[in-house]
Amino acid sequence: MKKEVVAMLLAGGQGSRLYALTSHVAKPAVPFGGKYRIIDFPLSNCVNSGIDTVGVLTQYRPLELNSYIGSGQPWDLDRWDGGVHILPPYMREGDQGTWYKGTANAIYQNIGFLDMYDPEYVVILSGDHIYKMNYADMVEQHKKTNAACTISVLEVTLEEATRFGIMNADENGRVYEFEEKPKHPKSTLASMGIYVFTWSKLRQYLIDDEADPNSSNDFGKNIIPKMLDAGETLMTYRFQGYWKDVGTIDSPWDANMDMLAPGNENGINPYDTSWPIYARTPIRPPHVTGVNACISHSLVTGGCQVDGTVENSVLFHSVTVEEGAGVHYSILMPGAVVKKGAQVSYSIVAEGAVIEAGAKVGAPPSEDPDWGIAVVASGVTVGENAQVKPKAMIREDVKGGEQA
Amino acid sequence: MNDLHGILLACRSDANLGELTRHRNTCSLPFGGRYRLMDFMLSNYVNAGITDVGIIVHQSYQSLLDHVGSGKDWDLSRKHGGLRILPPFGYAERGGDYRGDMDALHGVSDYLRNIRQEYVILAWGDTAVNLPVAQVLQQHLETGADVTMVCTPTLKGAPRFSEYVEVDETGRVTDLSVHPVMASQALESLEVYILSKKLLMELVNYCSAHDIYHFSRGVLQPRLKTLKLMSYIHNGYVARFQSVSGYFERSMDLLDPKVRDDLFNPQRPIRTKDQSNPSTYYGPDARSTYSLVADGCMIEGEVENCIISRGVVVEKGAKVANSVLMQGTVIKSGASLAYVITDKDVTVNQNRMLMGHLTYPLAITKGATV
Repeated sequence: MKKEVVAMLLAGGQGSRLYALTSHVAKPAVPFGGKYRIIDFPLSNCVNSGIDTVGVLTQYRPLELNSYIGSGQPWDLDRWDGGVHILPPYMREGDQGTWYKGTANAIYQNIGFLDMYDPEYVVILSGDHIYKMNYADMVEQHKKTNAACTISVLEVTLEEATRFGIMNADENGRVYEFEEKPKHPKSTLASMGIYVFTWSKLRQYLIDDEADPNSSNDFGKNIIPKMLDAGETLMTYRFQGYWKDVGTIDSPWDANMDMLAPGNENGINPYDTSWPIYARTPIRPPHVTGVNACISHSLVTGGCQVDGTVENSVLFHSVTVEEGAGVHYSILMPGAVVKKGAQVSYSIVAEGAVIEAGAKVGAPPSEDPDWGIAVVASGVTVGENAQVKPKAMIREDVKGGEQA
Repeated sequence: MNDLHGILLACRSDANLGELTRHRNTCSLPFGGRYRLMDFMLSNYVNAGITDVGIIVHQSYQSLLDHVGSGKDWDLSRKHGGLRILPPFGYAERGGDYRGDMDALHGVSDYLRNIRQEYVILAWGDTAVNLPVAQVLQQHLETGADVTMVCTPTLKGAPRFSEYVEVDETGRVTDLSVHPVMASQALESLEVYILSKKLLMELVNYCSAHDIYHFSRGVLQPRLKTLKLMSYIHNGYVARFQSVSGYFERSMDLLDPKVRDDLFNPQRPIRTKDQSNPSTYYGPDARSTYSLVADGCMIEGEVENCIISRGVVVEKGAKVANSVLMQGTVIKSGASLAYVITDKDVTVNQNRMLMGHLTYPLAITKGATV
């Protein structure tokens, strides 16, 4: 059936800069904020914006992501008409089929899917941003301005601008130039990687781009510049509010810490029921605090057992912090265990990792130029009295007493 | 998968629970921070592979409907079978409450006739227990019993509301006493039965024709010799709810890790309505010790020995000890509570002091502001 708007969520990225966290899962499936995974944000935004048809393009390590999305029920996307669709690369008659070569190629390979719904507009989203946004407002502006493409932009500092795709636009918001990571930025409007396209236009650009052997088939590098060159109307959509790219190892730590300021302008407020973030949550009883528990300024989730000290930290479901253990400024993902007397500071401990008694992981910030957030990958055991240095990325077990 | 159909009786409101059941059926009484009592038996059914469940309701079932919805949180929203809510549609001409469980079953006899499974499990939805229903069925089949009833050796109910059985060495029930003055026998019945659909229909028809409305008194007691009535002994934790202080004590039982391990056995998880709550936030000056705290709370004050449901707010400077706070309770700064049960959406204003006692906890009505 025809849909006015279909959203396409690019969720195939390997997220190599997050490598200890994405050794088992695609980046959008990385746990976030105590209860969520990164993909919950764009998916919930879609549903809250009234978009009921979403294609999720997967490629890298899709198993956990696929089962997480399932029928789409947690987001009310299990529907007769529309709903959520997992779109992996596939074989076609004649050619051999290929992996998704780039963001634009991923959509190109799914022209058939989009044609089934024959939408007027396509919203392109990525699976590595934490934000709340009403896409319907953006589509509305797109319609009003009769644009071929509308790009969501955020005001950044001049310094940050060198790390983003920068949109140079006139006073009406019409883009006249696009610069990818400019050394000397002319403006501070950064692209958030969220696009609304008029589908009939985009469809043709995708076909032409695919025929160009020199193209890297990427929205930012190829499609947007080609549309600009052809004189299409490209408009900016000004976004105001919290937005965080969680593509590097420090940024998910930062963004999780931002969750500790509920109601604060500088973070996402998960308690705001007018724009709920939905998640598939496992069945767990409420969390338990023991007689020795001391929890402050932290998030704690169902199934946790806390009998130690937890401060300025985010605990996902089923985390155990035993008596005498301390967790400071850290992110403990589902099922992580911190045993008696172990100390975890400024660290990310991924799913099911075990910190044995007396071990020490990470350290508070210091003058040392090598200081950084320590990361223990999922399923890894850090042995008794072992030490994990700041900024270390631990992907294999650390034996008792050793340093890593 | 098995050939078992689940019937859940959710048609009694216990007058002895006072304020707690004024607005709801006992089966939808909140328990354990995030559950309603019926979650336990309903999850037991689903964990045993039951796909078709009928819930018999009579009065005050609005909160029950709201809670179970389509049954999707128990995977019971299905094209074929699944969850059916059974209001008293066949009972209109008589009016009033169902007089007993057989009355209730007769009220839904059209539904029972269409059951496609060979066996039926009957249970009340107001008992908190993690029961391995698949094992009960297996024993039922192995012993060739006509009726298998689940019993517990740990007596939990008040005698005047409970039923007790005596069994011989094979486990066959030799005596059944209903609501005695004192509990003289060693086994308490949980009023959970497995029997064949065929036998159930015969009994429902017989009872209807003879105006018998009580299963234990009217059917089982007179037929102890003719029906092979076997006991299944469940040694795990069982909580029944027959008074406000009993509700309070059973809630506090959950602070014992052994009780939690049994009741929330991860192999047979207790499912409940998913509300997409965020994690619970503890403020900089918060203190939480020896407590069970559900998701979606904001704890900035102190809680100790408490059961705290989803979405509760305890402001900075508030102190709550030995209390049960249901969903949406707000305790403002400076307030102090001990041995209190606050029902849903209760607000306790600044600097109020409320104190009950272990034997007489103070229960505050749904939606009240103190």
